[in-house]
Amino acid sequence: MPFQEPVPEAARLSPKLLLIDPIRVLPSLLVPLAGVLVAGGFSPRSFIWAAFGVAGSVLYAVVRWATFSYTITGGRLELSRAFIGRSTRVIPLERIRGVDVTTPFLHRLLGLAVLKLDTGAGGDKQEGELDGITVEEAERLRAVLLSRHTPVAQEQPAAPQDHVFLRVPMAWLRYGPLSGAYLFTPFALVAGAVGLAFQWGGELGLDEDDAVAAGEWLWGHPLLLVGAAIVLVVLMPFLATAMYAVFNWNFVLFGRGDHLVAERGLVNRRVVSLERRRIRGYEIAESPLERRARVARLWAVVTGLGDSQTRGQLLPVAPRAAVDDIAAEAVGPFSEALRPHPPAARRRRLFRAIAPWVVLALVMYALGYALIGVAATVLAVAGIALGLDRYRSLGHTYDGTRLSVRSGSLRRAQAVVERRAVVGWTIEQSWFQRRAGLVTVIAGVGAGSGGYKAIDAGETQAAAFAAEVTPDWMAPFLKR
Amino acid sequence: MRDALRDPANQVSPRARSLWFAEAVIVTVLLVGGLVLLSMWMTGWEFLPQWLLDRTWVASLVIGLVLVPFVLAEPVVRFAVHRWELAADVVYARSGWLSRKWVFVPVSRIQTVDKAQGWLERFFGLATVEIRTASYAGSSTIKGLDYEVAARLAEELSRRAQELRDDAT
Repeated sequence: MPFQEPVPEAARLSPKLLLIDPIRVLPSLLVPLAGVLVAGGFSPRSFIWAAFGVAGSVLYAVVRWATFSYTITGGRLELSRAFIGRSTRVIPLERIRGVDVTTPFLHRLLGLAVLKLDTGAGGDKQEGELDGITVEEAERLRAVLLSRHTPVAQEQPAAPQDHVFLRVPMAWLRYGPLSGAYLFTPFALVAGAVGLAFQWGGELGLDEDDAVAAGEWLWGHPLLLVGAAIVLVVLMPFLATAMYAVFNWNFVLFGRGDHLVAERGLVNRRVVSLERRRIRGYEIAESPLERRARVARLWAVVTGLGDSQTRGQLLPVAPRAAVDDIAAEAVGPFSEALRPHPPAARRRRLFRAIAPWVVLALVMYALGYALIGVAATVLAVAGIALGLDRYRSLGHTYDGTRLSVRSGSLRRAQAVVERRAVVGWTIEQSWFQRRAGLVTVIAGVGAGSGGYKAIDAGETQAAAFAAEVTPDWMAPFLKR
Repeated sequence: MRDALRDPANQVSPRARSLWFAEAVIVTVLLVGGLVLLSMWMTGWEFLPQWLLDRTWVASLVIGLVLVPFVLAEPVVRFAVHRWELAADVVYARSGWLSRKWVFVPVSRIQTVDKAQGWLERFFGLATVEIRTASYAGSSTIKGLDYEVAARLAEELSRRAQELRDDAT
């Protein structure tokens, strides 16, 4: 860096980070350290080497801390690191679209936080991160970074009055397992434990023969295996609820100034703030179980928000009435009924849900694997219900300001998007759709997933839908 | 879609047929050639049954024969399907072969306009215009344009896009 006046506002991460960093690298150091000690027979020399290792990791943390600084100057945030190479990343403040503050467990003990920036430059790419600033500094920066085109305030302005939209009651945590996403928690935990055993087993002098022997021993005790499987299955809803509760503990959604802020989590408290004027719509998803229990999940469709499935989340699994309230509050009320798609769409949904299983069943019967054949037959029969439900899900509509499309069964998703967010249309027709006189019409939207599809709409219906939402664009190309 | 949408006004360059034919031939030759190499290699696989080892060449022959009508049909069908138009500040483009795709991109939402020319396109004097918006579903790629036409279209679009730039999204 050429010589220049030190910028007065240049700041470092909190020195308390030095307490965390060595602890964070400790697990990866533990095994080599133990190896050195064991290999050296716990001699004084091996202790010296181990001490070198620890000292080295502390030194590394200190150097990392000392060489990193951040500055807010002239409407830009500059992150500079001068370690081995020198790098400066400049982020114009007007490109910052969201600020995400999280407090992992160790950080929380010391009153620190991690601040992540959303610049909306491209997909899920993180463009800036300040890992290890004090919580107060994080709050100050959030205010500064999100107050566009205003000079950097030295003093924190009076905190705007927070307006709490919803504090999720504990009772709603019981809806967690219905989404299905957390149901396999016990199996994931067992898989993780086995993986860890393999990883650490090697270090502890166990080898493949021991693993094979353990496997054979288990195989020799089938009752134990069955018992373990039953225990895991029984544990599914409980562990799923527990896991879900850890992530969605004390979920609060509130308005702060012109932002919507969602806060959640037990161990790792996560705070996501979404700029209200960038919200273009919402998406509601339900599994069949959730539909039965009349609960749903809700996301905001936000322009330039990476990783929108995690960060756009406005509510955990919540009763449908609450979901509709919050959706109306965040985006606007939408009650227009969906228009169904033509009967040909039902035939297509049914065919696609049934045919693959029928083919599989026939092949398996022919090859003599009757058991798999029976299983495939069962799935084919289940496909009838699935296909019919998928057809019932299909629909699209427009109420004058927002369009809506819905599809899916096991994950039925309905998106509601403002007309002004539409940047174009794509109509697709596969060879099979052409036979059936159907098309998939996609509203291109510069937010959320980028495109919202009305699957298997009728040909005329699809063109009329696009023309209804954006008449100026479509009128010249319609046949009268 | 015949009842719902009219055809875009302009055809692509007639030379696009040669381009698509050349591309299809290249892909087919590579595929069949790869299969021939594979079958020559397979003759050394002694764990396969003898009747299969004697006929490893069948697959490349069958696939080659099956592909011939496709190679012949694709350029003709594509030339009939691929059309484009710029009217009322909206780009309307149709593309596809076995499947179809209609794209409508309003010029006011365009973010970038690219003009591209691969080596095969250069050989036939053709070019591709790529129009991008903030969404994949509002983005269009018009292939097989005469180079001059593509250059004029790209120029016109980027000029108009600048005049109309509307950052509502």
